[in-house]
Amino acid sequence: MTWLVWRQYRNPAAISAALLAAFAALVVITGLHIAAEFHAAVGPCLAANDCRWPADNLVLDNGPFGFIIEFTLAVPAVLGMFIGAPLVAREVETGTGQFVWTQAVTRRRWLAVKVGWLLLAALAWGGAVGALVTWWSGPKNAAYLNAFDPGTFDVQGIMPAAYSLFAMALGIAAGALIRRVLPALGVTLFGYFGVRLVIMGWIRQHYMTPVTTTFSVATNYLPKGAFWLLAQGFRGPDGRLPAVSGNNVMIVGNGFPASEVPAACVTHGPLGGEMLGAQTIACLGRHGYLQYLTYQPADRYWPFQFIEAGIFVALAAALIGVTFAVINRRDA
Amino acid sequence: MSRTAAVETTGLTKRYRRGTALSDCSVTVPEGRISALVGPNGAGKSTLLRLLTGLARPTSGSAAVLGGTPRQDPGFLAEIGYLAQDVPLYRRLSAEDHIRAGAHLNQRWDGASARMRLRQLDIPLDRAVGTLSGGQRAQVGLTLALAKQPRLLLLDEPVAALDPLARRHFLGTLTAAMAEAEGSLTIVLSSHLIADLERICDHLILLASSRVQLCGDIEELLCEHTVLIGPRKDTTAIERAHTLVHATRTARQATLVIRRGGPVIDPAYQAEDISLEDLVLAYMGAAAPAAYAHLSTVGEEQ
Repeated sequence: MTWLVWRQYRNPAAISAALLAAFAALVVITGLHIAAEFHAAVGPCLAANDCRWPADNLVLDNGPFGFIIEFTLAVPAVLGMFIGAPLVAREVETGTGQFVWTQAVTRRRWLAVKVGWLLLAALAWGGAVGALVTWWSGPKNAAYLNAFDPGTFDVQGIMPAAYSLFAMALGIAAGALIRRVLPALGVTLFGYFGVRLVIMGWIRQHYMTPVTTTFSVATNYLPKGAFWLLAQGFRGPDGRLPAVSGNNVMIVGNGFPASEVPAACVTHGPLGGEMLGAQTIACLGRHGYLQYLTYQPADRYWPFQFIEAGIFVALAAALIGVTFAVINRRDA
Repeated sequence: MSRTAAVETTGLTKRYRRGTALSDCSVTVPEGRISALVGPNGAGKSTLLRLLTGLARPTSGSAAVLGGTPRQDPGFLAEIGYLAQDVPLYRRLSAEDHIRAGAHLNQRWDGASARMRLRQLDIPLDRAVGTLSGGQRAQVGLTLALAKQPRLLLLDEPVAALDPLARRHFLGTLTAAMAEAEGSLTIVLSSHLIADLERICDHLILLASSRVQLCGDIEELLCEHTVLIGPRKDTTAIERAHTLVHATRTARQATLVIRRGGPVIDPAYQAEDISLEDLVLAYMGAAAPAAYAHLSTVGEEQ
């Protein structure tokens, strides 16, 4: 069985290995350049141990191929679409299933061996891409403290490997259910990006209860490290957030609604379109107004990686389970 | 025939959403025979073969293949060789790749004979099978099915796309395999080409309109049936003594195909032996849907 897997996938394996090698070369070349830039810019403060992060004024040049890094989010989709989806669908479409499934190997075993190797390949390819991108992003993560941000979080650490497992399983299941390569390919593409979008946009922030910190309107406060900011704003003296709704609410600087400024503070300065003056801010503080930040602290980065990886691995396992049920129950 | 049956189905029925592909099919193929599976397109031939391999499962009824139910079990799968319609093989892989794959997928596998057979037929082992001719591909498919050394070989219209010479080669390979197996191999072969089947088959299964019309030893079936040619007249007397399978009437003459219930005594009719082709056509005509009925009773006057 393994011989057949090797014989059937040695060309895709060679092609994707070549692409991976080319990608690795690009990543190493541009990554070394970025690392050099980074050290040139912040080397002195690193040596003196007095760097201030995020280094907003530090612009690290991605080089001409930097955009490729963003596109690595599509690597799992490509694996699922072009390797996973045809696994069963092409056997049915071309009829070769009738040959291979009447040899002295049950469909279940045929599927187990194929799925095993393809998932392993997805893990390896996704893991390699993830490792390369994580290394490449090191200086940027340090400078911008953005590792936890949606979009960055998704292409680093163990996420690419987990997404690849999921996308491969999704492709395999879609192919087994739909039994036609092209529609299965489409379902894999939209399924992968759809599920990921929902989890990134609405679910990830709830993995752990976010931390909310309140502090004086007159001060600035930033949590340590690469935290993930979920919300920020002002809180009134009664604990109520100033209502910011409707189109005719004029917002003064710092996002504070003009209508909420107490009468006593209005005299301190002009309102409308400008930053609050220092006196106005002090006045707001005296009247019991506070600022707040809601965020996921930086030290939850790895717990979040593992929670999200766990979710996608569980989804992959469920999809593979469906595939086994389908291949056994349905006529081949 | 006291031998055990290689295939025995009881009320085998397969329904798809589109309709019934096979209904209430009960057939028996004794071990060691070459059975011709014939019938018009859409009669259920492929469905029957797929049910026997276990690739499809029946809606109702049951099949016993080599004494067991077709199932996902290496022991069962090892005993059957199946060549599906249009010979589906991996187009990019070579015959040699297929033979090696077979060796990995089967405990019992005669790769040496397979290579020898293909070399004898001058079929290149190292070229992608997608680049071979239809006849060569069919031979590769058959060779792979035979390499399993199956006890039951199921072939779905393997010669349909072949030219006469390739067909002759293909059927020659089959009869050689039969002789080699010395009675331990049973073949069920579906085809439209009755002349070819007549040459090598000794058993017949006739399907039409998803039902079994006829099943049995070809010699016996031919013996039991007679063609009567005579004047066009009332056939009540004939139908009382025999089973009238099919009648073709022209203005003055009637040709009746009957399953004899005894000797034919009406001197008005001339009795003739029936050929396999006429037998098959008579039953297919009898089972034809109303829309085709006028075709099977050409020249009939109302």
